[in-house]
Amino acid sequence: MLQLIHFKNDARQIMRDPIMTMLLFAPLLLLIVFKLLVLLLPPFLNAKFGFDVAPYNPYILSFVLIVNSGMLGIVTGFMMLDERDGKIAELMEITPLGKSGYLVNRLSFTSILSFIYAFTGIYFLNLLELPLFSIALLSLLAAVYTAIMGLLLVTWADDKVKGLTLAKGLNVLVLFAFTDLFSLNWLTCLSWFFPPHWITAMIKSPWHLPGIAAALLVHLGWLSMLIIGYWRRAA
Amino acid sequence: MRLLHAIWADIRFQIKQGFYLVYVIITLMYLVILSFIPQDLLPVVLPVVVFTDPSVLGLFFIGGIILLEKVQGVLMVVVVSPLRTVEYILSKVVSLGILSLLAAFVISFFSSHEAINWLLLLLATILTSGIFTMSGIMINAGCETVNQYMLKTIPYMLLFVLPCFSLIGFPYSWLFTVVPSVAALRLMMGAYQAIPWYEAVSLVVYLAGTNYLFFRLTVRVFENKIVYKD
Repeated sequence: MLQLIHFKNDARQIMRDPIMTMLLFAPLLLLIVFKLLVLLLPPFLNAKFGFDVAPYNPYILSFVLIVNSGMLGIVTGFMMLDERDGKIAELMEITPLGKSGYLVNRLSFTSILSFIYAFTGIYFLNLLELPLFSIALLSLLAAVYTAIMGLLLVTWADDKVKGLTLAKGLNVLVLFAFTDLFSLNWLTCLSWFFPPHWITAMIKSPWHLPGIAAALLVHLGWLSMLIIGYWRRAA
Repeated sequence: MRLLHAIWADIRFQIKQGFYLVYVIITLMYLVILSFIPQDLLPVVLPVVVFTDPSVLGLFFIGGIILLEKVQGVLMVVVVSPLRTVEYILSKVVSLGILSLLAAFVISFFSSHEAINWLLLLLATILTSGIFTMSGIMINAGCETVNQYMLKTIPYMLLFVLPCFSLIGFPYSWLFTVVPSVAALRLMMGAYQAIPWYEAVSLVVYLAGTNYLFFRLTVRVFENKIVYKD
């Protein structure tokens, strides 16, 4: 109950801050931009260079999901970094909400948004025919990815500048969504340990059970490790 | 001498903050991707990569740097130190420009594209980096958090990026060259493709002038809106 009240207050507080509201709704804008690109670019590329984009649709969808959920994660990470600098996090931790409540509160808000954006985004972009189960799973993975990105930032960065450096470096993770295209064994093997690879894999083979298990394992593994890291840092 | 010390201090700060390490990783990522791009597409893809990442890194990082220096009280110290505002801004622009230049050169050198005009690449990277870093300083005025800064950069980025699509070519698209980012991308393209010398010279002169105007404006905004906050 306490969590719910805090969650409601948090949502209200974010809605009052125009900057945060706009940042949280920026993925919607991004979805519209991607939709326009998906509509306009393939005919242009086909006409001008004879290049067919259709075989790359799973990668495009994966890219959109990763960028959108990653962006929300980075917004969460910077919000928590700012709260740490402003000692607001310390204040929140001594309220009945506590340390874990604060963490759940901050991560869950954007993760839920990420789930909604991923779910609606897949339908809105309409790049591939995916089963409902697969759409739900991809949305769940996107939500976990948002939490992972937020935690990576707040656990590893000491200050705002390190946060920006890290956010820049984390862009490299997107590469792991495309490793199938490069046919480099070492890179493919390396990508197995990173969430973006499994988002693409789940789009390409929605019913592959070992793949589903591995995707969940990698995502939840990263999440658990980062939560432990966050606790160690806070201790 | 004071300026050189400030630049060196900024470079050491950037190394300590991991800027150089991150760019080693990002450069490796680009090299992996570029190795799969067909040779005939490299003269188009390479300038776009160099323009969209190493050249604009200053815009991304300067927001956090100034916000951190504000929190740590560095800006207040700068006001009473012999370092002038002009030198402080130049130091930031030059130090971030060096990182841009290193990343741009390494990406270009290790890519399989051979016909590169290194002098044009040097000029294009420095001039583009200067424009974006100084834009970042101006955007930073009034920002208290990184999220605020990132949000404020979106409209400016759109203003800079959207006109770049004019390079695809349509009637009167050359008129967009008046937008500094389009001129910068045109010059960058010139470093990897053949470009008439008079076009290269006029673009360099135009971008140098834009850098000078941006610099004057940045000094004013920095003093009025960031240090003294009106």
